[in-house]
Amino acid sequence: MDAYFKKTFRNFYTFLFLIFLSVSVIALDFYHQKLNNIRSFITDLVIYPISYISTVPKNLLEISLVETQIKDDMKSEIQKLKEENIKLKIQLQEYQAIKDENLRLRKIQKQVKKVDEKQLIVKVLNNNIHPTKQMVSIDRGKKDGLFIGQNVLGLKGLIGQIVEISALSSKVILVSDLNHNVPAQITRTGEKVIVKGKNKNNELELIFVPTNTDIKIGDSISTSGMAGRFKANIPIGIVKDVVNEKEKKFMRVSVKPLESIGNASELILIWNTQDKVNKENDITKKTDE
Amino acid sequence: MNNFLVITITILVSILLTMVTFALGPFAPDWILLVMIYWALALPTNANLYTSWFVGILADVAYGSILGINALTYTVIGYLIIKAYRFLRYMTIYQQTIIIFLLLFLKETFNMWINLILDTNDFSYGDYYWKTLTSAIAWPIIFYSLRSIRRKYNVI
Repeated sequence: MDAYFKKTFRNFYTFLFLIFLSVSVIALDFYHQKLNNIRSFITDLVIYPISYISTVPKNLLEISLVETQIKDDMKSEIQKLKEENIKLKIQLQEYQAIKDENLRLRKIQKQVKKVDEKQLIVKVLNNNIHPTKQMVSIDRGKKDGLFIGQNVLGLKGLIGQIVEISALSSKVILVSDLNHNVPAQITRTGEKVIVKGKNKNNELELIFVPTNTDIKIGDSISTSGMAGRFKANIPIGIVKDVVNEKEKKFMRVSVKPLESIGNASELILIWNTQDKVNKENDITKKTDE
Repeated sequence: MNNFLVITITILVSILLTMVTFALGPFAPDWILLVMIYWALALPTNANLYTSWFVGILADVAYGSILGINALTYTVIGYLIIKAYRFLRYMTIYQQTIIIFLLLFLKETFNMWINLILDTNDFSYGDYYWKTLTSAIAWPIIFYSLRSIRRKYNVI
């Protein structure tokens, strides 16, 4: 009987110890963010290989589908791509001319901004990595110089930002997440608004738009660059619907993003915001000390 | 050594199942917890409390939640199982399913409390509790398959 009680007490003390350990881990992770190294270590060692295995069937299916495509299809696609390439090259020339002109005008105003154009195209590993949040994982990590808060674009517009990094992979939160807000502006008038996600792939909304704002269906919305997280003038979407109800302070505005946000298979990372974010980190470090 | 290998592999497979079923959203069963409950029920030793804590940390990384939340709830469930394994082992599978449902309900409630205390905006009430129902339905599958694995590889 003695042994039995000893055993139950040992279990109880172990239980108490583990509860204490968990609470301190929660406190360390939530209030001080000290455990990111452990998290990224476990991600690289356990989670990344498993998530890689979990995408194997999908990838095999895609490969087999591509191989069964008829040759003629491929030929016509190559033709189409060539035409598109020529069109894009012509557009690029125009763009280059405009850019030169813009730079010249800026020089006149003595406001030359250094334009850093480093970009990286990454592959989406997994579209569903969280039961309730809108997040995707991508196949590049700390090794390629990514950083937290980096802007992630699709082919047509803003997709999201990086929130978690490990050595081999990282996680991107999409602008369509329910808790994600982007400082933005109405491109036509320059008025500042906030874009909020709705957990839907093809719908966003504007919040805190006063009822007397000049906004119409078809207006385009782009990032404003306020707060320094997102680069300015990245297109986000087009106003789809404006509801102005009486006796309410704010309008209900829904925005259609330029592409289906959660379904992209390739994303583009840009490096413009790094300096600003680094500066912010320096400032917070200094204040911490 | 045999024990360690078999348990590790089943837990890794449960993480794989979790990743595959993320597409189901709130309806995805909590595979990792179910496998953990099975092993706690089969081998209710003191060491398994540590194991359940560590599996909880793995689950935290897999779900992307704050480190420690699942570790805490998994430890609580593991301790309850160690206290009550004598009843649970002699129950029929249907009775066990009901108990598992209650345990998962408790776990999700804890989870929600912690999220409310920390104010992480990571909760939506309905979403949490769908999981308990689907997990309870998945329990007989986990139970019989893991029991056959345990007998085949002689894990004691």
